[in-house]
Amino acid sequence: MDFQSVILTLQNYWSDRGCLIAQPYDMEKGAGTMNPHTFLRAIGPAPWCVAYVEPCRRPTDGRYGENPNRLQHYYQFQVLLKPSPDDVLEQYLQSLKVLGIDPADHDIRFVEDDWESPTLGAWGVGWEVWLDGMEVTQFTYFQQAGGIDCRPVSVEITYGLERLAMYLQGVNSIFDIVWRGDVTYGQVHHRNEVEQSYYNFGNKGQNNQRLFQLFQEYEAEAQEQIKAELPLPAFDYVLKCSHTFNLLDARGVISVTERTRYIARIRNLARQVAKLYLESSSTG
Amino acid sequence: MATYLLEVGTEELPASFVAEALAQWQDRIPPSLQEQNLYYSHIAVYGTPRRLAVVVEGLPAQQPDQVQEIKGPAVASAYSQGEPTKALLGFLRSKGLQLSDLYTQTTDKGEFVFAKQKISGKATREILPPLAASWILKLEGKRLMRWGNRELKFPRPIRWLVSLWDEEVLPLQLEDITADRITYGHRVLSKGAIVLSHAKDYTEALRENGVLVDGQERERQIVGQMQQLADLMGATVESPPELLAEVVNLVEFPTAIVGEFDPAFLQLPPQVITTEMIAHQRYFPLWDRQQPNRLLPFFITISNGDPSKSKLIAQGNGRVIRARLADGKFFYDTDRQVPLETYVPQLKKVTFQEQLGSVGEKVERLRRIVQLVFAAIPNVEPMREITDRAAYLCKADLVTQMVKEFPELQGIMGADYALHSGEHPLVAQAIREHYQPRGANDELPQSLPGQVLAIADRLDTLVGIFGLGIIPTGSSDPFALRRAAQGIVQICWHYGLQLNLPQVLKDTIGVYTNLPKGASEIYQNLLQWFQQRCETLLQEKIDYDLVDAVLGVGDPDYTEWSLSNLAEVKGRAEFLQRSRRNQTLHSIYAVVNRASRLAQQGDIPTNAKSLESLVKVDKLQEEAEIKLYQALHQLPPKPQNYEELVTAIAQVAPQLANFFDEVLVMVDDPAIRANRLGLLGYIRNYSRQLADFNAIRSV
Repeated sequence: MDFQSVILTLQNYWSDRGCLIAQPYDMEKGAGTMNPHTFLRAIGPAPWCVAYVEPCRRPTDGRYGENPNRLQHYYQFQVLLKPSPDDVLEQYLQSLKVLGIDPADHDIRFVEDDWESPTLGAWGVGWEVWLDGMEVTQFTYFQQAGGIDCRPVSVEITYGLERLAMYLQGVNSIFDIVWRGDVTYGQVHHRNEVEQSYYNFGNKGQNNQRLFQLFQEYEAEAQEQIKAELPLPAFDYVLKCSHTFNLLDARGVISVTERTRYIARIRNLARQVAKLYLESSSTG
Repeated sequence: MATYLLEVGTEELPASFVAEALAQWQDRIPPSLQEQNLYYSHIAVYGTPRRLAVVVEGLPAQQPDQVQEIKGPAVASAYSQGEPTKALLGFLRSKGLQLSDLYTQTTDKGEFVFAKQKISGKATREILPPLAASWILKLEGKRLMRWGNRELKFPRPIRWLVSLWDEEVLPLQLEDITADRITYGHRVLSKGAIVLSHAKDYTEALRENGVLVDGQERERQIVGQMQQLADLMGATVESPPELLAEVVNLVEFPTAIVGEFDPAFLQLPPQVITTEMIAHQRYFPLWDRQQPNRLLPFFITISNGDPSKSKLIAQGNGRVIRARLADGKFFYDTDRQVPLETYVPQLKKVTFQEQLGSVGEKVERLRRIVQLVFAAIPNVEPMREITDRAAYLCKADLVTQMVKEFPELQGIMGADYALHSGEHPLVAQAIREHYQPRGANDELPQSLPGQVLAIADRLDTLVGIFGLGIIPTGSSDPFALRRAAQGIVQICWHYGLQLNLPQVLKDTIGVYTNLPKGASEIYQNLLQWFQQRCETLLQEKIDYDLVDAVLGVGDPDYTEWSLSNLAEVKGRAEFLQRSRRNQTLHSIYAVVNRASRLAQQGDIPTNAKSLESLVKVDKLQEEAEIKLYQALHQLPPKPQNYEELVTAIAQVAPQLANFFDEVLVMVDDPAIRANRLGLLGYIRNYSRQLADFNAIRSV
């Protein structure tokens, strides 16, 4: 099954189960959880079922395209079901079956892995799903987001698309995944991995000071939009802050102590956005 | 007699919780039944990732009846002229009693009316459901969660409940989850819902559906299957107990499967490979039985899948470990592209402790402290250059990719990279060893540079953290300072290093600048800290009073002296214990103890070591004291060992006893008195080379 068929299959599967098929959010982010479709919709009482592909950036994972198993830019397939259905594990196992992985033929394990995002003030309880020892999915029941208790509780299913595709295609390098026909994942993304790795690690004399300034500007922008009671625009700049922080972190220019403070600054914004979003949705 | 089955069906529980929950049930369920006067013949708790269960056999149909004595009104107000009063009739009515049930009894407050009332036991099937609910809801776990729309909290979602009294479902409800007789088997080995007709069928019905509910049975299966596979391959299985305990609760139906990887990866240090296997994949490594240090390119994974699919499952797992090892190989090759020392400058960016600066600064201190440690150990030939080099390089691996990825490989990678960079093998060995002992039962550093660096690293941490005024209390010891001090003591004891601890502590405090706490406060606190650690370690084998006698509890000068030769602390303690056992302590205890106490009263300084400084010959008057003086004069000033010391004291013991019989110490003449006390003081001081005899309780 080629890469895009994996995506199409999952979209169809979850669409058939009542999910809205959404599109990626147009901002850099470290995980599909940070898409407002998940982060903000997990807050508050309204039911919500959504599935979408999300490109993710993790600057420190850059390997200049030399490591066959690691990328600084990759894709997640994200499903959010609220409230969490009682048969969610069975639904998930069925989705593997439609991908051609029959759970009866494999050793599928739900291994404890609780999730916490210090920058988003969010945590949840769940598993990483192992397919014959390979982690292919993250499963999380959200307990808090932006410091707010999630009631009802949503469940988030995050498929690692590259991992699944590698498994299905039997290839040992991400770059050998067939995207479609004779186009490989490497052809689509390898150059980006190389260039972005140089950028992420600042190997070509990149200006870290400017990144520090950008962080401050983004933070100020977020704060002003919070004051203006516009949680969605404010959230965009929280995402900007988060990504800028991740870049600075990859550059190794943030000490451990400063690191904690930066995380606290972003979390503080995320909390305010979450609170504002909840208040304005209940009154509006 | 009946059987009760309670099963809580869940989504996959954390392995550690299954073990904790069963231990809690094991502890709590028996007393909770006893409180209800419910006695049973057998109880068993079971758990897998998807269920917790308890089966109680031999329960009675109802609680035993009980007879209760009820006190009524006083006789004086119960009858008026032989007739029951209103008060008594009211009492009878309220308790449902007849006049004929009554009898009178005298209490300390007078005569009262009493009755015995029979209370019929309630039916067990009515008592159990609320009890069962409390068993479930009172389970404690490290993290509880909510799911769906419910208020209920549990470590993972509860999906079904079984509550069966022999053949009958006992009602039990947690919010909208209602107990029934339906359970579910293994996710792939079971055909679907299982209808239990009787509580006794539980374990067998689940076995038929691919679930071994008993963790001990799963463990036996796993161990046995692994052994079989290892035998076939001429291998030894590396099976850490924590890993085995976890794996037991990751599967409902275990199948041991051998997977393999490309032998080319065996170029990696074996610890890199086994860390990947154990910590990340929960695999069991296999070692060559013929060459015990040779890792084999195979591993065992415990599958929860269908045994008939093992081949496919082994292939999948093999691919995963290959990918992980490729990742590890990438880190390894990248890290080794430059010599280890090129990583050292980056340590300035790594925080050691917020107020104590970077690891780079720690390394600078360590280079000075290792020299101070050598200066404080008189009985070794210093290896200054090797140890300095090791100190300089010992933390460099913290900024390599491999250790960033696998922090538990710190030291191990440093040693490997050091050798690859052409460093002296002893430098590499010291880098690897300086983290040892990692815990109470870990190996100790074997090389002298490793020992000295290990001591220095721990001293630096202890002084720094105590210097911030952070002294561990109770269970809160975030910097593992207990372990750090204990490590120093263990190393010195094991290798007989006569470390002068007071000296090296003072010197190390001097290495730090700008610690918020004053030098003498840090020093005193640390001395006490080490004294307590020695105490704890000694008390495993040595009587409490002898431990006190060796360490000088309540006598800071003696403690300081005692710790000025760390190796001998243990030597002296063990000698005293032996002497107590073979009665030789007996020959000197009484007189030395008496001399010590008198000398104490006379304010004779404990640091005076020469006889001449304490006793003036021309002031000796009586024959007994002259003889004692002569005997004391014969004592070898520095005995070679403790046997010699005790024998020497034993030889003067008769003169000393005679002295106590014949001579009055506390005479009026101050010069004579001081002289006599001086004789006793000398004995006391002499014996203090071994112990503070004041602290010894009896022989």
